[in-house]
This record gives sequence, structure tokens and C-alpha cells, in this order.
Amino acid sequence: MVNKTFTIISADGLHLRTAGVLASEMGKFSCNVAIIHNGMTFNAKSLMNILTACIKCGDNVEICCSGGDEQEALSRAEDLIESNFIM
Amino acid sequence: MGEAMMLKGIAVSDGIGIGNAFVVGRKSLSYENRAVSNIEEELTRYHEAAAKFTERTNAMADKISANTSKKEGEILRGHILMLNDPYMSSEIEKLISSGVCAEEALSNVCDSFINIFSSVDDELTSQRAADVCDVKASMLSILLGVEEVSLGGLPPQTVVVAEELTPSMTSDINGENIVGIVTERGGKNSHSSIIARALGIPAVIGVEGAAELLKNGDKVIVDGLSGNIIVSPDTDTLRVYIGKQSSFNEESGELNHFRGKPTVTGDGKVKKLYCNIGYADEAVRARECDGEGIGLFRTELMFLNREEPPTEDEQFSWYKKAALTFRESSVTIRTLDIGGDKVIPYLGIEKEENPYLGNRAVRYCLKHEDIFRTQLRAILRASTFGKINIMIPLVTGVEELRAVKGIIANIKRELRIKSIEFDDSIKVGIMIETPAAAIKADLLAEEADFFSIGTNDLIQYTMAVDRGNSNVEYLYSPLDPAVIRSIKRIIECAHDAGIPVEMCGEAAADPLMLPLLISFGLDGFSVSPSYVLKTRRNISKWNKESADKIVQQILLLKTEREIREFIKAELKEIK
Repeated sequence: MVNKTFTIISADGLHLRTAGVLASEMGKFSCNVAIIHNGMTFNAKSLMNILTACIKCGDNVEICCSGGDEQEALSRAEDLIESNFIM
Repeated sequence: MGEAMMLKGIAVSDGIGIGNAFVVGRKSLSYENRAVSNIEEELTRYHEAAAKFTERTNAMADKISANTSKKEGEILRGHILMLNDPYMSSEIEKLISSGVCAEEALSNVCDSFINIFSSVDDELTSQRAADVCDVKASMLSILLGVEEVSLGGLPPQTVVVAEELTPSMTSDINGENIVGIVTERGGKNSHSSIIARALGIPAVIGVEGAAELLKNGDKVIVDGLSGNIIVSPDTDTLRVYIGKQSSFNEESGELNHFRGKPTVTGDGKVKKLYCNIGYADEAVRARECDGEGIGLFRTELMFLNREEPPTEDEQFSWYKKAALTFRESSVTIRTLDIGGDKVIPYLGIEKEENPYLGNRAVRYCLKHEDIFRTQLRAILRASTFGKINIMIPLVTGVEELRAVKGIIANIKRELRIKSIEFDDSIKVGIMIETPAAAIKADLLAEEADFFSIGTNDLIQYTMAVDRGNSNVEYLYSPLDPAVIRSIKRIIECAHDAGIPVEMCGEAAADPLMLPLLISFGLDGFSVSPSYVLKTRRNISKWNKESADKIVQQILLLKTEREIREFIKAELKEIK
């Protein structure tokens, strides 16, 4: 398993657009991807699941990937979050 | 024609539409919750409906993104992602596999999300509840086959009145024939609102009972600026609105030309054009309205209507949000500006005989250092996320500025010890809104990092007039020679000391003030978001030379009235 903590910098937090981008990009990997926010774990491949986490601008989230392509998935997540989801 | 009637709703798409009502009848989305015997067949029925929804919504999103607004298209694509979400679809499939019909399975899962999202006290998250509602309604109408109403072939000058518009209704909407949209339900980001904004159709939502009260063919005015719906207007009202409509159309066409452009005078001098906001969320709106930064973030509004003061973390999240929204420019946060005109029990502010001359703003803050320090610490912590400036209200002398700077230096030391990051070069400026500060502007300019002229209070204090008192409000004007002289002096003193000076009162957006402000060399304007484009256009019409010429004459005039008439006449000429 690999993991890393990020600060969400997009002004609206992880919302429809940003969460949608994250979920669909993470869906391309075979490993499990979880977001841990305030001690709760959410499925990062599910937009609806991410939305229920109600992650706001400035919040810290931990991304955990485990499985075959975990390293690739984590670095993709890192790219997305740090570029503020500009694809 | 029926009797004139006015209804109220929420304006979600600008403009004024005048036309004839087309009422989309209420369609029942109720279904019989039946047990399913052939599960495979039911799953296929669900998947086919989902595919149809996806195809249709995608087509609409393409159309919208290509036409006008990328952002609106993205919200629609979000709806597709929601329905096809692995978690959501697996929950629905699980229910169907247990023998529940597709309609019930869909409603069940959607409702659980709607409950989760609407129970969160956060505007964005509750908008997501509206999104799921939208998805649910369109899917139900596909599953139940009750989707025949099309808005495609409506006659010109139609105002669509409906309970709510779903993607299926609008898939072939014709923006040219539809001049207004009125719905009973929906939110700012629901399907109806998105379509309306994307197609530039004036729209009002949340109009209770509209689909019942309005009849096909009723003459309707949709005021997408105020949220009023006028049914069967009399000729006078109609005439007024036709006038409003044409001036709105003319102006919005012209103003759009200034969107995304820098703010420059006719002779190429760049000015800053910032926004005034009262809540962190408004920073996003300021951006949408093309503001270049935040020139005044009033923080007191966020202290009202609550039982206890906002915590440092709470404030930190507001300031950080604003800073991140304008990371490339700057956000000027005004510290708590509050006094005895508002009763806030937890702040221990006493009712005073003369609240405007009493213990308010920086005076209060220096007496209640705990509250002040909490705010300053939150601001400092947020300052690493963008470019934040601190602005002190109601300063009357250098000692107040020094006292605040001392507190800030102290907090910086604490933060350093705790290794908490902040922007060490954060600027500390002052509002110039009292005659004392204006008269001592030269002294203050030596110790402040910037000035911002707060004209609303500066006028009231200079003219000794309460603008809310109708007996004396005639004295309230930024064009009084006393106010003009004061502003001139403030700007000169700032520039002599080499610091920038902005204006954040209403006068900053007043076209009559512009020749004065351009001639005096004001560096920045901070206006409410809806005035950004207008102000940018107005600034583009002036250059220093022509403004100087007019101002030379203005300075010779002795009364407010003469000055007003003179500038008005000049404005007519430059048009």
C-alpha cells in the first residue's frame, strides 16, 4: 500500500467537477483507491462516495492506493490534486 | 385577459422576458411498487433507461459547452457521472436483484443520497441534493415513459412555466422562441437554471404554484433581475418593462465586450478593479463577475446571527477560501467593523446613545484583544495560501495603527515559535473614513502600507449626516466640495509617501465620480461584483488629460449641485 496526504486547494473543495475528475481518473486503475478524511474512509473511484465526504477547500485528505498499479494511481492522484484538477 | 397578478421567486438567469405562457402540465412520476419476477429483464430495463439518460444528457452538455458555457456543461456531465457512479449503480442493481422494481430501486438509492446531502449545512453540498433530485426525476420519467412534452416546437415569444424542467424536456429546446422560464422548484444549479443561463433566457425559479396559477396564453413578464413574475400586466407596467428590457439588452451586449479584459483608462493607464464581499463564498461570485481581486472583505457579517464568536479555525477556513480563489491577485480583509448599532450578545457590545461615534470597529477591537487576536491569527495563518492584506477600519490616528501593528508583530512571534507558516510580508493598511484620518493622511501614510477610502462613512462623518435620515439625506453626496477636497488630499498624501490608494465605498462605482478619481490618480477601485464590467467600461472612457481639464473647473465650483450638473453635462458630451 502507498499513501500520501494532500491539502485540497480548489476553492469549492472536492465538489462535482473536481470529485468527478478524480473518480473517473481513479477508475482507470485496477488497485483500490481510498480517500481518508476526518478519520472516515471513502471510495475514491465513486463520485457519490467522495461527495458524501463533504471535503472543503483547505481540508487535508489522505489518499491510499493498494494493488498492482498503486504507485501509478497515487502519482496520478497527486498530479490531479496539485494541478487543481486542470486536465 | 386575466387580472394582473405578481408572483415572487428567485432570479437565476439575468434579463427581462415578455411573452405568452406555455404551461407544462404536472406529470405524475408516481409508480406502483411492484415485485419483480423476471430480474434479468428488470435490470435490462434499468440499464436501457440509464443509457438513454446518458446519451441525452451528453448531447445537451455538448450543445451547451459548444454554445456558451463550459461550466454549465460540466454540471450536466456531473449528472451522468452520478448516475453511472459505480457505488450508486451497484446499490441500485443490488436492490433490483433482490426483486425490487427499477423505479423503486432508483428512488430508494437517490433518496438516501438526497438525505445525506441535504442534511449537511453547506450550500454546495445541498446543491448536490438538487442534482440527485434532477437525475432521479429524469430517470423516472424515462422509466415510466412520461416524457413526451418537448419544448422544441414552441411558437415565438413563449414563456415556459413548469413545475421543473428535466433534461428530456429541454433536449431540443429552442432558445430563440423561448423568452422566459418560470419554475416552481429547483435551485441555482438545477437543470432549469443551467439551461436558462446557458441559453441566455431570463429565468425565475421557486415560484410557488406557478404551474397552477398561470394559464396557457397568459401575458407574462419574467424579471430575471429581481425575481418578480408579473401576470397580465396593465399597459403602463408593460411599457416600463419594455424599456427596462431594451436597456438591459443593450447594456449587457456592450458590457460583455469588457469581460476578461484588463481595466485601463483611455490613455492606457492600468487600474485595479476589485470587489467588495461579505462572505467567503462571494469570492467565487466576484471571480465569475470578472473581478480582479478582493478590495474589501467585510468580516462582520459572518459574526452576526450566531450564539458565539466564530472560532479561529472557522475564520481561517473563510479567509483561506477567499485567498485561494484569488491566488494570483490579492484579498484585502477588513478586521471586525462592529459597534453599538448592532446588538451581538456574545460580543458584549453595549447599546450606545451614539453608536456611530462610539465604541466600534478598531476601538472595540483594541479593547477586546482576545476577539481581535483570534481574527488576526486566523488571517495570518490563511496568508500563506495567497496574497492577503489586512485593513483596519475607522482609524482616527497613528496610535491605533501602531497598536494594531504591535499586536500583529506579537502574533507573528507566537506563530514562528509554533512553526506555523504565514506571510511575513503581509501588508497592513487602513481605511480612510473619518475626517481625522483624512486630515492626518500625511502622517498615517508614513506608517500604513496602503490606504483604502471608505466613502460611505467618510461622507457621513464629513457632512455630519445620517444617510438613513430622510430629513437630512440630501446632504449625503460624494460630490460635495468638502468630500472631493478630502479625497484629493488623501490620494495626494498616499502618493507622496509612495503607497497605493484604493476606494471601496459606493462612490468607486459612481460614473459621476470617475473624472475626479482618474484625475487624482486613484490606483484601485473596489465595487460590488455586479458593477465590475460597468466600472471597467466607464474607466475606459476617461483619460488623464480630459479628466484633468474637467477637474480644474470642478475645483472652482462651490456647491454640490453645481458640480453634479457640470459633470452630468460633461458626461453627455463624452458619450
